Amino acid sequence: MDARTFLSSKVTKKANIHVNSYRKDLHWRLLTILILVTIGLGLWVATSKVNYAWRWNRVPQYFVYHHEIVKRANYDSRVIDVEAIGDSTTVTIRNQFDELESFTVDSDTVQVYPDESLFAGDQIGSTFKWEIGPLLYGLGVTLWISAISSIIGLVIGLITGLCRLSRNITLRQLSIIYIEIIRGTPLLVQIFIVYFFFGTVLNIDRMAAGIGALSIFAGAYVAEIIRAGIQSIPKGQMEAARSLGMNTPQAMIYIILPQAFKRTLPPLAGQFISLIKDSSLVSVIAITDLTKAGREVITSTFATFEIWFVVAFLYLTLTSVLSQVISWVERRLAVSD
Amino acid sequence: MIKTVDLKKTFYGRGQVVYAVDGITSHIKPGEVVVVIGPSGSGKSTYLRCLNGLEELTSGHIHIDGVDLADRKTDLNKVRREVGMVFQQFNLFPHKTVLENLVLAQTVVRKRKKVEAADKGRALLNKVGIAEKEMEYPIRLSGGQQQRVAIARALAMDPKVMLFDEPTSALDPEMVGEVLEVMKQLAREGMTMIVVTHEMGFAREVADRVLFMDHGKLVEEGTPEHFFTNPQEERAKLFLKQVL
Repeated sequence: MDARTFLSSKVTKKANIHVNSYRKDLHWRLLTILILVTIGLGLWVATSKVNYAWRWNRVPQYFVYHHEIVKRANYDSRVIDVEAIGDSTTVTIRNQFDELESFTVDSDTVQVYPDESLFAGDQIGSTFKWEIGPLLYGLGVTLWISAISSIIGLVIGLITGLCRLSRNITLRQLSIIYIEIIRGTPLLVQIFIVYFFFGTVLNIDRMAAGIGALSIFAGAYVAEIIRAGIQSIPKGQMEAARSLGMNTPQAMIYIILPQAFKRTLPPLAGQFISLIKDSSLVSVIAITDLTKAGREVITSTFATFEIWFVVAFLYLTLTSVLSQVISWVERRLAVSD
Repeated sequence: MIKTVDLKKTFYGRGQVVYAVDGITSHIKPGEVVVVIGPSGSGKSTYLRCLNGLEELTSGHIHIDGVDLADRKTDLNKVRREVGMVFQQFNLFPHKTVLENLVLAQTVVRKRKKVEAADKGRALLNKVGIAEKEMEYPIRLSGGQQQRVAIARALAMDPKVMLFDEPTSALDPEMVGEVLEVMKQLAREGMTMIVVTHEMGFAREVADRVLFMDHGKLVEEGTPEHFFTNPQEERAKLFLKQVL
C-alpha cells in the first residue's frame, strides 16, 4: 500500500466510524423514547383500571377565570333610559328619592326595559372581569416566599459564613452552633417551632413566620457554601491584596468575595432550587402557597390527579427557569477563565 | 530606610517549634539593592514577609522609615502602601483584567481618580513592556508576562521599597530573563529593593549587598565581589560550591 491509498483509506475509515457512532447514538435515543412511552402507557392502563375520569378541562379555570359582577338596583326605581353603545349599555334609572342613577353593563346581559319598574335588589345586568385563580395566586405566593427567603437567606449565610471564618472565637462558635442546630433538625419541625413558639412569643403572623423559618434554614446551608467558597480561594490572593495596603474588608469585598461568589454559584443555585421546593412545607401553617392552593382546588373539584400533576409541573417550571438564569450568569462570569 | 533589630519569627505546629527567623539585625539604606540568598528553609522568605507585616513577628523590631512594625499602634495597612511586594506565584487577581489589576488598589487605597489611576497603570504597563495586554485577563498571559504585571501592580502604589519573594522561581527558564530585565531597570532607577532569589547572576550584577542566611540566621553579608569570590564562613563556601 503506498502512502496515498493508506491515507485515503484512513480517512474513509474515520468517516465510517463517525457514521457508525451516530447510528449507535440513534439506537439509544430511540430506546429512551421507547422507555418513556412504555412508562406512560403503563400509567395510562393503570389509571384506566381504577376508573378515574380525567377532567383536564376543569383545570384552566383555576388559573384565571371570568368573574361576573352583577349590578343591582339599590332602591325601588323606574328605568328611564337604556342606551347601547357597542358592547356596553348604559342604563339610567330614577329611584324612589327622585335621584337619577346610571349603570354601565355588558349589552348581552341587560335584563331591563325602558319604563320598567324595579324593586331594590333587582338585577340590571352584569360586567365581566378576568380574575386570578387560586393556582396562579398560589404560584405567586410560592415565588414571593422563595424569593424573599432566598435573599434573606443569602444575607444571613454571608454573614454567618464570614463569622465562621472569623478570628473571634465567640463569632465562630455562635455560627457553628447555629449551623449545626439548623442542619440537624427537620425543616418541618423548624417551621412549627417558628410559627407556634416564636409566632406566639414575638407575635408575628404566619407569613413572616414562614419566610423567617425558610430564611433561617437556607442561611445555614448558604453559610457553609460560602465558607467553602472563601476557603477555596488561594491564600496568595489575600496576601497580594493586603500587600497593596488594602484592609481585610476591602480585600474581602474587592478580591475574595467576587472570586468566591463565582465558585459558589453552582452550589448556591442548587440551594435556592431546593428552597423553592422546600417552601411547599409552609402550607402546613396555612399559608396559601402553590401546594395549599392545589389542596384547596382538589377539595372543590375532586380532580386530584390532574391538580397534583399541574402543581408538580408549576414547581418544575419555577426551578428550571431559575437554573437557566443561573447558568446564564455563570457563562457571563466565565470570561476571565 | 529599613532597620531590623534582633528580628525573630517562630512557628509552632504539630508539637514542633521552628525558628524560621532567628535574630536578624540589618540596615537597608535608601536606593540600595539587597539580595538575600541561602538554602531552602533558611528563612529568607519569612524574613521578607515580616518586612511588610504578612507574618506577625515573634520578637524584635522592624523600623520602616522610622515606623516600628512591632508597635501595636502602627497601622500596617499604611506601612504596606509604601512597601511593594512581588510574589513567587504572581498572585494576580484572576477576575480582573490586567489594567484593573493595576487600577484597583490605587483607587481603593490611594483614593485616586479612576482616570488618573488608569493613566498611571498604562504608563507602568508600557514600562514593563506589555501595554498591548491591558484588556486581557491574567490567565491568558504567560508566566513572565504575569510576573511583569505583578511588578507593575506593586509599582502603581508608588512604594518606597520593593520586596521580591523569589520572583523567577515559578517561571519557565526562557521567561526568567524578561522579568530580571525589568528588575534591573528598577534598580538602575534607584529603587530600594530587597530580593530573595536563587539567581546568582542577578545578585552578582545588580546587588549592592548580599545577605546569606541559614537556619534563620544571618551568616554572612557583604558586597557581591566579596561574597562570591572570598566568603569567610564555611557554610557560605559550601553553599556557593553547590550552586555555582
